[in-house]
Amino acid sequence: MGKTSTGVLAGLAGVLLLSVLTTAQDKAPRSPWKYYPEDARANVGPGGPAPVRDLIGTWAGESSGAGVKPGIRYENPPPLTALGKQLFDRNKPQSATVLVADTNDPHLRYCDPFGFPRNMNDQIRSMTISTVPNRTFILLAFQTQYREIWTDGRALPTNFSRGADAHDPTYNGYSIGRWEDDYTFVVETTGMDPQTWATETGYPHSVDAHVTERFQRKSKNDLTLTMTMDDPRLYTRQVRMGETYFRWIPSQTFYSTTCIPSSLQRYLKEMADPAGNPSAAR
Amino acid sequence: MRANVLMILVLAAGLGAIERPVSAHHGGAAFEMKAPVVLKNATITEFLWINPHPLIKADYKDEKGNLQQWTMELGGIVGAQLVGWTRTTLQVGDVVTLYVWQAKTGALVGRFNKVDFADGTTMRDSQTGADDGSRADTGVRQ
Repeated sequence: MGKTSTGVLAGLAGVLLLSVLTTAQDKAPRSPWKYYPEDARANVGPGGPAPVRDLIGTWAGESSGAGVKPGIRYENPPPLTALGKQLFDRNKPQSATVLVADTNDPHLRYCDPFGFPRNMNDQIRSMTISTVPNRTFILLAFQTQYREIWTDGRALPTNFSRGADAHDPTYNGYSIGRWEDDYTFVVETTGMDPQTWATETGYPHSVDAHVTERFQRKSKNDLTLTMTMDDPRLYTRQVRMGETYFRWIPSQTFYSTTCIPSSLQRYLKEMADPAGNPSAAR
Repeated sequence: MRANVLMILVLAAGLGAIERPVSAHHGGAAFEMKAPVVLKNATITEFLWINPHPLIKADYKDEKGNLQQWTMELGGIVGAQLVGWTRTTLQVGDVVTLYVWQAKTGALVGRFNKVDFADGTTMRDSQTGADDGSRADTGVRQ
């Protein structure tokens, strides 16, 4: 009995200590211009039913600091064709054994934009979804990028090669969206610049890759993104690109980060390269 | 016994609110994280408030009087701001004590741990600012 009481009391003391810490944090000076992940963290529970056909607002992702649970990673290993493997082997993603000094990740070495679909599966911080009558925009906090998704019923372009009707590939590709039901918004995208990586682990994609995203609002506070990629030249079958979770940010505060090429060059030359390679020039 | 299990569950529920440490997205594999190098009375020569990571540059004289020029990186700017940093937290000419997880290559570069100011205050890194190199913030990811 004594041990029982002691155990319960110790547990409650732990919770009380955390409550005190949280309260102290709440009393810290606040600015309406700053992002406070605690705002979203305090937004507990589902918050009620999801509104009908509505994703508008700001959403916290798993790397936002808002305590959003980690998503399900894309499948590994990827089901590559011979050509896909050849392209994949060219990429040297940063890892426990490949330092920043040795990677050829176009973002880490040159500030290149992630491009789609990597910008929806890597560095998932915050995003804002906004709509106008014929489009939905996704504004991404990381690297201050935006995606444009047409909802006017148009079809996706198919020619990215040559001729009068050819379309130049872009970092984020060409996207169309539609409501599958009252809570699921489906986005299809193709025409992504094949220079970009599909994942931080260096999965390649061709310009003809076709990515399908399903944004499912499961409650007022919860949004789940499920992604698949079809790219028959590089993959033997459809690739499961994982599941990403977002939580509603009540304060709607949004922050963004931008990679400045000149800053990155200083960072690499003066910090990351010497850290990984003793002979790197200082 | 049952109470001990309850205690563990209650504590785990509370601690779950604080995220587990994660390494910087540029990786911690390059740095020796067992014990920080201490640069006593180092002089700040530059404080670069840049992405992907702010850099502290400082001159330090070792016990033999040899000048060492160090560079060290913080966590990301957003995380640093949340634990109280601004671009003027360190200024050129400040004399401080710096703690740094040095690169395994032996180069005079590293991952910043913390800084002790002359007035006795301390500022820590958001990601590797605890004395054991784990996070010192409130669970902010970058």
